[in-house]
Amino acid sequence: MANADRVRVRGLSIARPIVYGNSARLLTSKERENVPPEHTHRWTVALRSAASAPGSDIVGGADDLSYFLKRVSFKLHETYPNPVRNIDKPPFELSETGWGEFEVHIKLHFIPESGEKVITIYHHLKLHPWSLSGDTESIPPLEVAQKAGTVHSWQYEEIVFNDPYQNFLNILTNNPPTPIPRTNTSGRTIPFHIGNPASFESLKGGVPEFTSLLEKDEAERLDKAKKLIIAEQEKTRALLIAKEKELARLQKMLNG
Amino acid sequence: MASASDVRSILSLPAVSSPAAGPSQPKNQVAVSNRKPEGISRELYSLIGPSAPTLLAQLAQPRLKQKPNLGGGGKVKWEWRLFKNGARSDSLKLGHWVKATDNPDADYKFAKYNAQPTVYEWSQDEYSRHLEDSEWTKEETEYLFKLAQEYDIRWHIINDRYEYPSGPKREIEDLKDRYYSVCRKLIRNRTWAGDEFSKSQLLLSFQYDKEREILRKKYVASLANRTPEQIQEEEALYIEIKRLDQNERQFKRDRENLLRTIAGVDSGLPDIIEDDASLIIADPKKKKLKGIDLDIPQTPVLTAPVMRRPPALNKNAVYDTTHCIIRNDPPSTTPATKVAHTPAYFRSVRISYPKAGIADKVNALLAEVGVTNSRLVMPTHANCQRLESVTDAATNLIELKRVLDKVNLDIEVLKNRLQLREDGGDSASVADATEMDDRGDTAEPEGENGRSQSVLSARSTRSRKHTRRSMSISSVDTTVATSSRPSTKRQKRM
Repeated sequence: MANADRVRVRGLSIARPIVYGNSARLLTSKERENVPPEHTHRWTVALRSAASAPGSDIVGGADDLSYFLKRVSFKLHETYPNPVRNIDKPPFELSETGWGEFEVHIKLHFIPESGEKVITIYHHLKLHPWSLSGDTESIPPLEVAQKAGTVHSWQYEEIVFNDPYQNFLNILTNNPPTPIPRTNTSGRTIPFHIGNPASFESLKGGVPEFTSLLEKDEAERLDKAKKLIIAEQEKTRALLIAKEKELARLQKMLNG
Repeated sequence: MASASDVRSILSLPAVSSPAAGPSQPKNQVAVSNRKPEGISRELYSLIGPSAPTLLAQLAQPRLKQKPNLGGGGKVKWEWRLFKNGARSDSLKLGHWVKATDNPDADYKFAKYNAQPTVYEWSQDEYSRHLEDSEWTKEETEYLFKLAQEYDIRWHIINDRYEYPSGPKREIEDLKDRYYSVCRKLIRNRTWAGDEFSKSQLLLSFQYDKEREILRKKYVASLANRTPEQIQEEEALYIEIKRLDQNERQFKRDRENLLRTIAGVDSGLPDIIEDDASLIIADPKKKKLKGIDLDIPQTPVLTAPVMRRPPALNKNAVYDTTHCIIRNDPPSTTPATKVAHTPAYFRSVRISYPKAGIADKVNALLAEVGVTNSRLVMPTHANCQRLESVTDAATNLIELKRVLDKVNLDIEVLKNRLQLREDGGDSASVADATEMDDRGDTAEPEGENGRSQSVLSARSTRSRKHTRRSMSISSVDTTVATSSRPSTKRQKRM
């Protein structure tokens, strides 16, 4: 155990589930008095643990991630003063006001015991309500925006550590993640995702939450797709074999 | 021996009545007491007497089991019916006797036993990629598979009927080896619906080790051909070995016990590795010792081996999932060599995307089956693997379709060549595969006169493409002096 921070445990990967993304809402006219005039929205971008704390109204955040995250830095658009915002202690989130959507570069700095470099992930800050038609250019009118309430854009993700140092592994195993619920707890909806057609329902409002039901549904969708493809493959292969036979027959006729 | 009453009845003397009884009583009495018992003969009764205990057992009516009533109480009508057999490919109807009450539409009872083994076929592409073998030509392999299908993979029959004209002599093990290795390769290289486990099970069913089989058959043959002396010798040796084993175990146990009692419990004796059978015997012995030697605590010795097991083995499946741990096989290289450390990453970043050339087609296909390749809703380990395998399957399908298209194209080409050959009667003129563009090759100017009749009939079945081609030639030819007959033919056709 002497060199626990120098010895890697081989053949093992350990992961931690997180959610990252943002929530945004329109500023009321009262609030707009105190901010630069172009700003229309208040948004919060965050990186939290995947499971939600019971009774909270934010997405995720049940666990304190500082046991393996030293710092999270959010790099905003250049037009913001000090665009690189470093958050050194939990909760790893940042609130601001603004008017436009842009890409936030989120950099994760791990604790020194991990021996890991900084990893980056990108998030498109979502201010305007989702539109099913996929029309990204037009900004919805005010009434539509007000009706939508808070706009959420979150992504579930897993950070994977490969062959961790023994020491780091111990730190991680001493802090197991809260498991995500099987289905939506009361008051929560499915997060909107283009990959999941069923999530269009949730555009009506509600704080989203990631559940293992979502995962299972996706797994089923993938399996179904695979079966379809393989059935098609079998058909094509049988056709191919028949055609090859015909080709051989024609060859024989030609040469014979 | 005749009783008194018997004598009297024989001699027709009046029965003696007991003085106190009335007429009915004596009759009863007589009836009761002197009645010969049923079940045993009269003589025996008089020998044994009425109060013998065995009498009761004898008298008991044999309570045989009732004959089971098979429900065939009523009469069953049987009739001769023609039936259709689902397992037959022709529609021959045979007849059999069947109860009239039997359902006439049900399938033939034994049709379900007509089990066919799964036939493996391969495409040329697959053959050239995976199934090439130095000792087996493609034709011979096809012949083998044809036989295998015909004879239901019964190897002895196949071996007997196997007669490939130009091939070397094939033993049954060679045939089996080639067949099973082809099947295994096909399974491994085709995308598999369902999980890895069922795939590996199927693969296992096709395991065939040629060397081992040959050796095994040799052994079995030699086993059957032993002379009686050899058999006896072997048995004697076997008994010897068993005896030696027993002695050895006994010896070891005694030695250990002795050393323990002499040198004390923690004598630092290494655990003696005994096989399972002896361990079962050993445990009751250890328990006995516990009972006897209460001052010598046995437990420290027993716990020592438990602690020696490394603590890492505590990890089990539940632990792994709670900590999101995934174990891969530890790399075969020793830790001393510098294995490059893959840094931490986000799982969705590491999803593999299809190759650039066919990426669009693959993504379109995936969209058709309802999968977006760009992002997963929940990129967990399992789902990422699933996505990868779906992407692989899609890629394979695209490849297959491409090969199919190529083959179709080849068929078209060949068909055209054949048609042309019929027209022109000159196979030498149809040179190569580029004749779609090669207008000069059309045989019209050449063979018209001799073959006009057959040409006409052949042309009536021609595809539109071809007629168009000939029409353009006709426009060329009208400028050249040709016989009038071809032109009229063309006009007729138009």
